[in-house]
Amino acid sequence: MNINHHPDDSTLLSYAAGALPESFSLVLAAHLEQCERCRQRLLEAEDVGAALLDGMAAMPVASKSIDKVWAAIESGEPAPAPEPRQPVAGLPSVLGRYLPEGLDRVRWRSVAPGIRQFILKDVESGHGSARLLSIDPGTTIPHHTHGGSELTLILKGSFADEIGRFSAGDLADLDDSVHHQPVADTDEPCICLIATDERLRFTGVFSRLLQPLVGI
Amino acid sequence: MIIRSDPLARAQRKLQYGNHTATEMIPQAVTTTIAEVPDNTPAAEQLAEWLGSVATDRDRRCFEHLFGHFAPRLKSYMMRLGADAVTAEDLAQETMIKVWHKASLYDRSKAGASVWIFRIARNLRIDKLRRQRFHEVELDTEEIARQGHYQESNLHADRLDADRLPELVQELPIEQLEVVSLAFFEGLTHSEICQKLELPLGTVKSRLRLAFAKLRNAMGENR
Repeated sequence: MNINHHPDDSTLLSYAAGALPESFSLVLAAHLEQCERCRQRLLEAEDVGAALLDGMAAMPVASKSIDKVWAAIESGEPAPAPEPRQPVAGLPSVLGRYLPEGLDRVRWRSVAPGIRQFILKDVESGHGSARLLSIDPGTTIPHHTHGGSELTLILKGSFADEIGRFSAGDLADLDDSVHHQPVADTDEPCICLIATDERLRFTGVFSRLLQPLVGI
Repeated sequence: MIIRSDPLARAQRKLQYGNHTATEMIPQAVTTTIAEVPDNTPAAEQLAEWLGSVATDRDRRCFEHLFGHFAPRLKSYMMRLGADAVTAEDLAQETMIKVWHKASLYDRSKAGASVWIFRIARNLRIDKLRRQRFHEVELDTEEIARQGHYQESNLHADRLDADRLPELVQELPIEQLEVVSLAFFEGLTHSEICQKLELPLGTVKSRLRLAFAKLRNAMGENR
């Protein structure tokens, strides 16, 4: 997979810190699964976390603390195995639980001509959301800006905007300084996973009419 | 943009970061630490060796050495992230219990002991203190190895000079140290940092970016 667009270093650093909203961590994990470059960068960011941990002043712990730990270990309670991820063809494994039937059988809801969406339930995202958008070929998402941050991971197809061309595996990491107008630019719909932490703001007069429809 | 150059505030933040005052104020007689642990901070090599022995031989003495080094730091970490002393100590214990149970997954060639334990602590903290899921990418899974993404160049030894990192972090400009601390020690998202410091998002992101770049460069020079 040829990946050209990556998360900002500030986003990777916050992921390493465990300080991203859940929805953002989901999108980032899905990108990381596919991107060797970013996994390497993440290891470095986690080294920063480890150094901070090592550099922390030691808070004395009670001397019986270690006994409690041995008692817990000896009580034989094995660590619960992590929930196995159901691999779903064509999807990063971290998304399997949300889209068990893959991208071909998503229960889309039409929000505007050429634009469909599916909201991922049970993903904590503050004022924002985690959702899939499917954009038909040639369809343009109206000019908009972001109240906060937005992470967009392309799962299928591609789009182009003022920044460049994004295809499967690429991640667009945008903040409120960016105004853009993406257009799906191949002959298949572009499906992307989007996490926002604030609502998007559409800037054009007509686009603003779309706001209540799209509700992003 | 607010310029924060007040030396008092700067010093306070340094102190907050180091958390030194809290420990220094506790009289010696009250502190009860694990007795057998060596006084000096063990080198990364040593920590990795202990964790390696726990992994392969279930070595209890090595585990106690690890506990002696990490438990007080984990407690400190959890307190910085908002836990009271009792909860923080529980979470430090819980982290170490996970270390014991998961040790067989530890691979020295891929990660230092500190980074491996940091990940466990971070995930536990999000789970317990934030009551929110954190989607983790599984860096060591067979699946990724099969996909051929994993390359041997990732060996920990080739990476950053982690031993010098704590020092390098302290050398960061204060405004960068501040945002890094807010992310790692208060678990604040970019938006939350903006609100707290009354700064635009772009400024917060660029400070984090600069801090990371500075650490990466400095470490790269020392390879």
